[in-house]
Amino acid sequence: MTFCFTRVRGFPKLWKNNSHRILGPGQSYLLLFLKDCGISYQTKWFTLQVVSPQSNKPVNLPIAKASSLRKVEGYNSKQNSSGSHYFAAGSAQKRSQRNPPSKDHVLPSVKKKTLKVFKTIQVPLKPLDSKGWDKLKEDFTGRATFESCIISEMARCGSSLDVAKSLLAWVAAKNNGIVSYDLLVRYLYLCVFHKQTSEVIDVYEIMKSRYKCLETEASTLLIQGLSCSDRWRDTLLLLEDIKKVRVPSKRNYNDCIHGALIHQDSNLAWDLYQELISHDIIPKLETLKTFFDFAKDIKDEQYSNKLLDILLYLRNNQLYPGESFAHSIKTWFESLPGEQWKGQFTTVHKSGQCLGCGKAIESIHLSPEEYEYLKEKVLRDVIDGGDQYRKTTPEELKRFKNFVNFCPPFDIVIDGLNVAKMFPQIRDSELLLEVVSQLAKQNLRLLVLGRKHMLRWKKQEIEMVQKLARCFFTDNISEDDPFLLYATLHSGNQCKFITHDLLRDHKACLPDARSQRLFFKWQQGHQLAITKVVRGARLTFQPSLNHDTVVQTTGDSWHIPYDEDPVKRSSFEVPTKWLCLHRKT
Amino acid sequence: MSVSITFLRPFTRLSVPFTLQTKRRILYSTVLQRYMCSKTPTMSNPEKEITSPPEQSEQLELDKWKITMKSNTQEEAVPTVLSSKAEDPLAATRELIEMWRLLGKEVPEFISEEELKTTTDLVSQSSKKKYLRYLFLKERAKKAKLIKKEIKAEARKEKLLETPEKDKQDFMFLRLWDRHINSAMGWKGAQAMQFGQPLVFDMAYEKYMRPVEMKYTVSQLLESEGWNRKNIDPFHLFFCNLKIDGDYHRELVKRYKEKWNKLLITTTEKSYLDLFPKDSIIYLTADSPNVMTNFKHDKIYIVGSFVDKNISPGVSLAKAKRLQLSTERLPLDKYLQWDTGSKNLTLDQMIRILLCLKNTGDWKEALKFVPVRKHSGYMDISQQSIELINTLKKTKTFNSLPTQFLNSRRQKKWHK
Repeated sequence: MTFCFTRVRGFPKLWKNNSHRILGPGQSYLLLFLKDCGISYQTKWFTLQVVSPQSNKPVNLPIAKASSLRKVEGYNSKQNSSGSHYFAAGSAQKRSQRNPPSKDHVLPSVKKKTLKVFKTIQVPLKPLDSKGWDKLKEDFTGRATFESCIISEMARCGSSLDVAKSLLAWVAAKNNGIVSYDLLVRYLYLCVFHKQTSEVIDVYEIMKSRYKCLETEASTLLIQGLSCSDRWRDTLLLLEDIKKVRVPSKRNYNDCIHGALIHQDSNLAWDLYQELISHDIIPKLETLKTFFDFAKDIKDEQYSNKLLDILLYLRNNQLYPGESFAHSIKTWFESLPGEQWKGQFTTVHKSGQCLGCGKAIESIHLSPEEYEYLKEKVLRDVIDGGDQYRKTTPEELKRFKNFVNFCPPFDIVIDGLNVAKMFPQIRDSELLLEVVSQLAKQNLRLLVLGRKHMLRWKKQEIEMVQKLARCFFTDNISEDDPFLLYATLHSGNQCKFITHDLLRDHKACLPDARSQRLFFKWQQGHQLAITKVVRGARLTFQPSLNHDTVVQTTGDSWHIPYDEDPVKRSSFEVPTKWLCLHRKT
Repeated sequence: MSVSITFLRPFTRLSVPFTLQTKRRILYSTVLQRYMCSKTPTMSNPEKEITSPPEQSEQLELDKWKITMKSNTQEEAVPTVLSSKAEDPLAATRELIEMWRLLGKEVPEFISEEELKTTTDLVSQSSKKKYLRYLFLKERAKKAKLIKKEIKAEARKEKLLETPEKDKQDFMFLRLWDRHINSAMGWKGAQAMQFGQPLVFDMAYEKYMRPVEMKYTVSQLLESEGWNRKNIDPFHLFFCNLKIDGDYHRELVKRYKEKWNKLLITTTEKSYLDLFPKDSIIYLTADSPNVMTNFKHDKIYIVGSFVDKNISPGVSLAKAKRLQLSTERLPLDKYLQWDTGSKNLTLDQMIRILLCLKNTGDWKEALKFVPVRKHSGYMDISQQSIELINTLKKTKTFNSLPTQFLNSRRQKKWHK
């Protein structure tokens, strides 16, 4: 292996124009795809070198084969097998960077952006006198009023308070000493932005004396501004005011709790937290972090129990703390007197073992009850969905159920269309046949799902596919993904499915949070994504997960997955970094 | 302090004509005025202000508005505190709306009790904002219409005053009054109801729509009926599956008022399957796999009267599938270079396209009614055929790529 490696590593300079280099390690020969970038895009195949055949190992499921140690130059430009699984944080972003959207899709958004550009006012950098403001107003040519325009602009770029003050003074002088409400609120925003607590209190006094009640935006700003000051108790009154018209937001609660904790009223803070949870609002992670941050000064049994409850809350809602929050948790655990907690930031091996302490992480596989529940749910809400005609027809569904019941359980279910269109460089039926024949060589029971129009693809290749695998073709106007899900679920826990689809639209069909969570857990454990196809060689898959990414404890240890700072995690991804805490006994 | 005021006042009055320059005079008097109205004894001596350098005076002025704001309001604030005792959610919402107007948000000036209750019942802040903005826009449109009407009425008055004699002039032909046009359209409508081609609006989508969407649909139906009535050869309109006293029916009667019973259309609770033979029905839906090639004058086209703001694809196709009807969609991709937007059109656009097709049979003419924001012009058919020939040529010379190319086109068709 290493020998052929060094040989091929030398080539790239020669093949500068060719974007795809292939090195197939699995079987008997080495191939290079050469892409003529000129006129024809015709692919040619060169056999470069014959490698001595490797000893035949016992046939395993491909997941076990997907090792990150084999550093092979991938054919495919979509994914590389860098060891991260399909749902690892940030992998979707990497994929999208590697495949920038085509030009047709970019154009409309650019058009819209250029439309949005309009003339902005230049905000003065120094306080102006009334003459200066008069002059600015004369030059202003907008449709809205000058005062509100300029103060919004100031709020946008966060200009200094003195400038805003001079504007208000000018307005007041013009207007019998009265400043209108919208200017006051914007000014308040600037005060909060610059954290000028005394100014906030001043504005609060003015507003209180002038208006009998405040609307929600001003109250929100005031709560934020006052929470750090001595008058933090007023934030509770403001919160009550907001409650009259709507449920306070998590931001309101966050600021109130912050204020209460700064002023060492932890009971009040916990009451507010309970109130927030009872509204079915997911609190900001910042709020939870604040509780941990202020725990250092409070050595109280009850308080620490509540903190552990927060960690369980994270577990139940599949929330992941950010990096700074993880640090707070670690410091809190280590500061606990007499318990000798030790924390470290690690990762988890793909076998499901924590690399820090060696303990096993919870498995991703569902319990039998959960599995049955999910299967029922998928059948009822994803395929049927109240109207069978939306995604299929009753006859087709019946035909499919008969088909699945009649067939033995499958090992792998393939989304035919998705796999066939995976690499635009290769013809669809050819690619599908290659994938199917590779998997068939491992004696796996295969099911290929597709639509009937696939039968019009190249005859002999489709016939070969039908020979090697069981096939089910839905009507052209039916959806095939729900059938894929059901067939996989029906075949039992060992069955996996191959598609690059993230299946988010089907997850969204599930009505409640629990079944969505179960679905995602099942999807992480059972979805395979192909990273590389080489003719005649074994397929390379992106490694799939064996452990569940969720906050967990055994009493003596805690494992908390957290988000690394620069990595942007999409909602359908899970973090890869873990905080491992364990107690010395 | 008070001494200084009483002293200064006569002094300024006296001194103005003799010694002080004009600029100074203004400054003096304004300072005095402000000083008098603010009534706060904390200010420094006005003489000092005048003598101090300009930067310092500016610094002092920065906070002055606060003092005036506080002092001005004390009288105002007393009665309001008393009135805000009632803890009523409706009153609270009303106050919120008032404050939002002060903040410059788009909220209506007048709000009825019913609308206020709807606003109060909305849970989230953004839904409240959206609803209030909707009311605001409605109110603004109403106002603009009124103003326009007034201007028109005035213009008409002026015209009558200007040209009273011209109207009396003898003229060869009878004057074409509006009522004549209306009766002519009525005759055409009656004729269509006897001999015209039916066009069915399927009204069975009540349960899929929210109240707002229902209102939009009814507006679109009204407009479509209008276009049909004005056309040279109207369709015979059917409103099928229209439940009497259902949501649709109520909304339609509410909008049409007494005219509802005089309309020259057929409304029925029956389904179109009971009225027409199944094989002559074609259901028009944007999700259909079949493309409409030409307008068939012997078929009955069905349009689903369904507005889905939150796009729910496949509802009408599912319906057609269930009833085993043949479906078709407009050949939008064939004739237009589609840019953005979904391919379902509004009901009035649809009926104008169909009317035009029926009368001319020309797709280019008919698809003019597709909103221009959705496409960037017509497909150049000659160029398209040249491209097709080119690709066919390539197929002969190179084997691998053109199949991919064709496949990718096929993929577009099947993959949404």
